Amino acid sequence: MAELNIVEKVIALEGVDLLSGLQPDQLARIASIATEVRHAPGKVVLDPTKPLDALFVVLDGAVSLAKDGVEIHTAGQNDVLGAWALFDSEAMPVTATTIEDTRLLRISRDDFYELLSDNVEITATVFATLVKRFRKLVGQ
Amino acid sequence: MRRVRLFWRSVYDVRPGEGMRTLFMCLHMFFVLFAYYILKPVSQALFLNKFDIDQLPYLYILIAIVGGMLAYAYTAVAVRSSLTAAVNWSTAITVACLLALWWMLRFNFDWMLYVFNVWVSLFSIVTVSQAWLVSANVFNSREAKRLYGLLGLSALSGAAVGGEVTASLAHVLEAHDLLLVTAAVILPAYACVRVVAAQKDVNLSAVRAGEADEEFAFKDIVSGIRRHRHLQVIMAIITITYIVDIMVQFQFSAMAKAAFRNPKDLTAFLASFYGLYLNVINFTMQFFLTAVIVRYLGVGGTLQILPVMVAVTSSIVMFVPRLGAAAAMRLSEAATRYTFNRTGMELLYLPLPTDLKNRTKAFVDIFMDRFGRGLGGMVLVAYTTLIEKDPKHPNFTRISVIITSIAICWILLSARAGREYMATIRRRLESRRLDFEGARIAVAGAETVALLEKTLQEGAPRQAAYALGLLADVPGYDLGPRVDALVRHASAECRTKAYEVAAAIRYAGLVEPASRALESPGEVHEQRAAVAYLLAVSPEGPVTASWVERAAADADAGRRALSAYAVGLSAQDRSGALRRLLDDRDPLVASAACRSAGLIGDRLYFEQVVHRLADHAVRGAAIESLAMYGARVCGSLGDILSDRNASLAVRRRIPRVLRLIPDQRSIDVLIGSLGAPDPAIRMAVLKALNRLRKSAPRLLFPAPPINQHILNEVTECFHLHAQLAPLRAAAPPRVASALLVRTLESRVRQSMERLFRLLGLRYSPDEIYNAYLALQSGNPERVTPAHDYLDSLLEREIKRLILPLLDSPDRLSTHARDLLRIEPKSLETAVRELLLSGDSWLAMCAIASAAELKLRGLAADIARAGEHAGEETVAVARAAAAALA
Repeated sequence: MAELNIVEKVIALEGVDLLSGLQPDQLARIASIATEVRHAPGKVVLDPTKPLDALFVVLDGAVSLAKDGVEIHTAGQNDVLGAWALFDSEAMPVTATTIEDTRLLRISRDDFYELLSDNVEITATVFATLVKRFRKLVGQ
Repeated sequence: MRRVRLFWRSVYDVRPGEGMRTLFMCLHMFFVLFAYYILKPVSQALFLNKFDIDQLPYLYILIAIVGGMLAYAYTAVAVRSSLTAAVNWSTAITVACLLALWWMLRFNFDWMLYVFNVWVSLFSIVTVSQAWLVSANVFNSREAKRLYGLLGLSALSGAAVGGEVTASLAHVLEAHDLLLVTAAVILPAYACVRVVAAQKDVNLSAVRAGEADEEFAFKDIVSGIRRHRHLQVIMAIITITYIVDIMVQFQFSAMAKAAFRNPKDLTAFLASFYGLYLNVINFTMQFFLTAVIVRYLGVGGTLQILPVMVAVTSSIVMFVPRLGAAAAMRLSEAATRYTFNRTGMELLYLPLPTDLKNRTKAFVDIFMDRFGRGLGGMVLVAYTTLIEKDPKHPNFTRISVIITSIAICWILLSARAGREYMATIRRRLESRRLDFEGARIAVAGAETVALLEKTLQEGAPRQAAYALGLLADVPGYDLGPRVDALVRHASAECRTKAYEVAAAIRYAGLVEPASRALESPGEVHEQRAAVAYLLAVSPEGPVTASWVERAAADADAGRRALSAYAVGLSAQDRSGALRRLLDDRDPLVASAACRSAGLIGDRLYFEQVVHRLADHAVRGAAIESLAMYGARVCGSLGDILSDRNASLAVRRRIPRVLRLIPDQRSIDVLIGSLGAPDPAIRMAVLKALNRLRKSAPRLLFPAPPINQHILNEVTECFHLHAQLAPLRAAAPPRVASALLVRTLESRVRQSMERLFRLLGLRYSPDEIYNAYLALQSGNPERVTPAHDYLDSLLEREIKRLILPLLDSPDRLSTHARDLLRIEPKSLETAVRELLLSGDSWLAMCAIASAAELKLRGLAADIARAGEHAGEETVAVARAAAAALA
């Protein structure tokens, strides 16, 4: 399968809740720092013993999420793994392992910060989305 | 000798550059008070000579109501006019009124004396408050603390001279002829303001004649009073103060009238009493006693002096109802109120939140004292009509009993005020929201100082540092021992504050610890404060050129940053290290070097600082630095902004520098770049212009180029709509074409934003922004008024283009054709235009959409678009070509 072009990456990123407030051309800037990675089944993508440094979007395939050895969810197309990695390096308490051939889109935190520093309007929109989430949590 | 010197400095501390402003403001004060102290005794004497004493309470009520209404009307007009205009108009109207009153008073109409007295009360509000408002805008708060004593002294001299001149002339001239003398005194007062206004750095025309803090709403005040017990106590004290003031004044006036049968003698007596005696006592108390009294008795104690004085003197009048006793009571009451009590009340306001304080003070200035005086008048009316058998000859002993009773309640209330003050100040100190610097008073209460000292010794580090900062604002306070103690504190924040305060007061006792702090690893703020301190008090060392050179070459980035900081503070780079530091890899070092380059302002560093605009970690400091260079670099910045070979990352940041330079040259450069092809630069330019329009409204924003850009933006917006229409109507939304639609919709929104930003350069920015928000909301209840507003505001040519753009979407294509000859487009034409638009993201979306919508007629265009494009576009074009094959 051919690598995704930037338009396809943007379409994939539109499914990321954290980036939902961004305009298409702003997503294109994020897409330009997103790299496509392919993994065979059994590859550990998120390890609870290691700090997070990137966010992943599942393009196709499936990833099992397990806590203390018990599977809690299977992530499929357009699902996001480690969304908070963009803001916090603390490891997640789950293990994410591919269970079939899987293609992921990877956005590293350093690249993301670099991008934010040059695009204040993206920063503002991401903050607004985060604030909405907090409000919703507080409301609950 | 030191005490004499300190006293002299407290009276006369005029620094270079302040001489002319101070001299003419003092003269202005002198003449204004001179005029007032002619009018005050004349108006009172004329009234007392003409009417029986039982009419006096009615005059008090009339002055409270009508005078209050006129004062409010004046304020309402004043907040909309400049201070210069207010001074010009009030002087002209005052002189005209004086001439009219002089002419009318000759006819001996009874009602004219009521009019005259009400007018004199208005004169005191308008002219005297205006004089202080001019002072407040001629001197900043620090200058004010030094110079207000001198201004007060001039005002006092004017009052004394005015009183004595009136006392002398009362026997020579008819009372009403003194109004012509007043008119003659007003003119030099006006001339002095003109001289002050012509001074450099004074711009009275940019200042409102009614201070912004005079804007208040009754609802806010009422809710403020409900929430703050402190405020309730203040209001109660003010009310009681003026009730007693009116009763004491009544008693004194009645006795004066009874004592002086000859009208000229009465005028002369009142003039000497109010002008000379009262003001000399005021002066003595203010200059020699107020600070001492407040320092020793604190706020609560100071506020109790007035009611105690009133209680004591009225008790004397109770047993000796003679003019001498009543005069002593009036003198002590008025003098204490003007001095101790006024200072005590200022301090009582101090711990209130600034916003509430401003609003409350405005409310009090306009209403509360009048309310108290009106109430006092009503108490007297009730007394003379209900209790007094012969209202024309009231029983002074009985009035004294009433005054004494009220004064006793007042003493208890003042004690309560002192407790409330301490409780509030403690709360505000804990939350570090106490502001002494903003207060224009030169004393602090003993209990406040004690509380600050206690916080300094026992408080948490942050509170201790804050308390030291507040103590630094207490006049005459010896800070040396305090900074000595605080510099040994375990907390770096406290040590930092100690260096800052010691530098500000030029205290040389910290050189040794500061030198040690410089050489040992420590907190960056502390080290910077130590460097700043050493350069301020010990310029010969240890922060020398060789120290800077050594530190600049140090492997530790913190020391290199410190050396860059030191270069900026000393405003010269004798070591030549700054150019090296500007290129430092460490962002902290480079940022410090940028700021220092800005402080020095040498062109030598300009290019290096501009280069740093591209580095996001140093960008903020680079922008700050370039802004410090000022308007002289606008041309060079403009050259870089329009240079297509220059780095885009640098060019996009130049508008952010220009917006910090409020100069016509910034506007000219930015207007010249409004048509920049890069949308990010265009938006940055517009944002900078919008900012300058608000921060520097006096600058000129030329209409013709802005109108042209408005036309361009409207055209672009109609084009985008024309391209959107067929795409929206195309077959079910597929991923790529839906993305294209969303991109175009976002471009339309950006174009509309730019359009309204441009309108904000031609019309009121706030109102245009509100109209924009209303239109964006889509709520018909907000959209319709916004339409109506724009319809009535915009010029015909601009309106002809913009209003159709705000019409419903189904009418847009008709408007585009009629106004700009933009024909409706087919799907293929629209997509072709977009893929050839030169906008790389739009082109990529259009290519992907063409493939998705199977627009085979565009295959050749897609191939062409992919030929000269970037890597990403080529990838999209290749995928599209494969899909269309």
